Amino acid sequence: MIFLEVTNPGNVSIVLFFGTIGMLALTIGLIVFIIFHQRKVIRYQTKLQRMEQDQQKLLLNASIRLQEEERQRIAADLHDDAGPLLATARLYLNENLVNLDKSTQLQSIYNAKQIIDDTIQLIRNISHSLMPPTLKNFGLESAVNDLFQKISGSGSMNASSRFHDYKERLQAENELIIFRVIQELVNNILKHSNASFIHLTQNTSGNKFFIRLHHDGRGITQNDFNKLNKSNVGLGLKNIQSRLKVLHGKIFFEKDMSQTYYKVTIELVKEEDNKLAEQE
Amino acid sequence: MVIALLALFTEILPIVFYLVFLKRNGGEGLWVIFLYCILNLLTDILAGITKAPAIMDCYNIMQFTLISLFSYLSIKEKKFKYIPIIGAVVFYVIAIRNFTNIRFDSFSVSLASIFIIPYCILLLYEKMRDSNIEFVYNNKKFWIIIAFLLYFSGTLFLYIYMNTLPEQQRSNYWTINNFFEILKNILFCIAFIMKKNAQPSYLTDNLDPDI
Repeated sequence: MIFLEVTNPGNVSIVLFFGTIGMLALTIGLIVFIIFHQRKVIRYQTKLQRMEQDQQKLLLNASIRLQEEERQRIAADLHDDAGPLLATARLYLNENLVNLDKSTQLQSIYNAKQIIDDTIQLIRNISHSLMPPTLKNFGLESAVNDLFQKISGSGSMNASSRFHDYKERLQAENELIIFRVIQELVNNILKHSNASFIHLTQNTSGNKFFIRLHHDGRGITQNDFNKLNKSNVGLGLKNIQSRLKVLHGKIFFEKDMSQTYYKVTIELVKEEDNKLAEQE
Repeated sequence: MVIALLALFTEILPIVFYLVFLKRNGGEGLWVIFLYCILNLLTDILAGITKAPAIMDCYNIMQFTLISLFSYLSIKEKKFKYIPIIGAVVFYVIAIRNFTNIRFDSFSVSLASIFIIPYCILLLYEKMRDSNIEFVYNNKKFWIIIAFLLYFSGTLFLYIYMNTLPEQQRSNYWTINNFFEILKNILFCIAFIMKKNAQPSYLTDNLDPDI
């Protein structure tokens, strides 16, 4: 308001000059600030985008590598186990068999039958490892219980599972994904943790579906998981991450409040909400 | 005198460039700026012929109307859209009350500048936040907003003190207006010549490859 009271022509010129210069400086300052701020934001967005692409590339590589490893394992099982078994059975049933005496013939046929039975069992095992029949026929709960019973039965570890709220089965393909994630986690615990027990619980809360694994061995925390996910090691963990991404799920690794147990929590959105998320 | 003629000449340029690059300038509310350029040119010609202060008062109201309309069309956030409407109502009441044919209405013109500068800042703020714009200076409207912002902030003090200046000195000080007029027209030309706003690469890139 002081400026507006200036009436002396000399003072008016000074106020007008400095006022105009001041306004101009403010305006130019504002424009420069906007341009630089926006460039900074764009640089940040580009960096984020690059990081996300790198992460996706890592996940993609991990899933390809895992697929290849799985194929190699099946090929090795077929080549090293089924191949020699069938070759041996063929030896027992060679053309010379008809020229042998009856008791030798019967012995050879019995041996061949034994070997063929073993081969059938082997192929069943391979097929079950690809797609567990319990999971297909009876669902996730039975398949997980089955898996934990087998672990417990081996005597190396005490394993138990409890499903609190699983009246309605999830879609078959989603059950398979969750089962594979559980298998991978259990495998990691068996291989690396030196735990004496694993306990799995399932729960729901609202539209969320939770699976929690407890163990008393050496585990990892969320920070370790994030670090491993960004590095080139930890193929299994990357595979878990990429599988859960399909279900829009989350996974949390943490140490129990008592600092005695490690907890792994898988959080999923129930299917209807999941479909909505996919549509979005 | 030279700068006044140059200012008049530069007023023709945005009109020509708008018409030449009509395809590039369609569909973004730029027609309002085209009308504004025509209004500027006609006012300067008429003011040169009649020298009636009422012409400047009418021009001021029409100029404010067009800039408010441009702001209204450009603002994307719904809650901000009412700002130019309320501003226009307040301005009309004051401008019509002060309307005289006796002398240049310094108060209304200054008031228009005081209203338009925040509109420009608001529009810049929106442009800054708009994720569809890769670089703000690749956007046509950015240059138009900058043109208005520089013009109205540069001439604000001139308009405020216009009536306090001695009659014989006014034409000297009017050079400031001519200078900013030229700057504004050049910035309009840049806006009309530049290609249509491009989509940022991070929006067109496929961020989610099928794993």
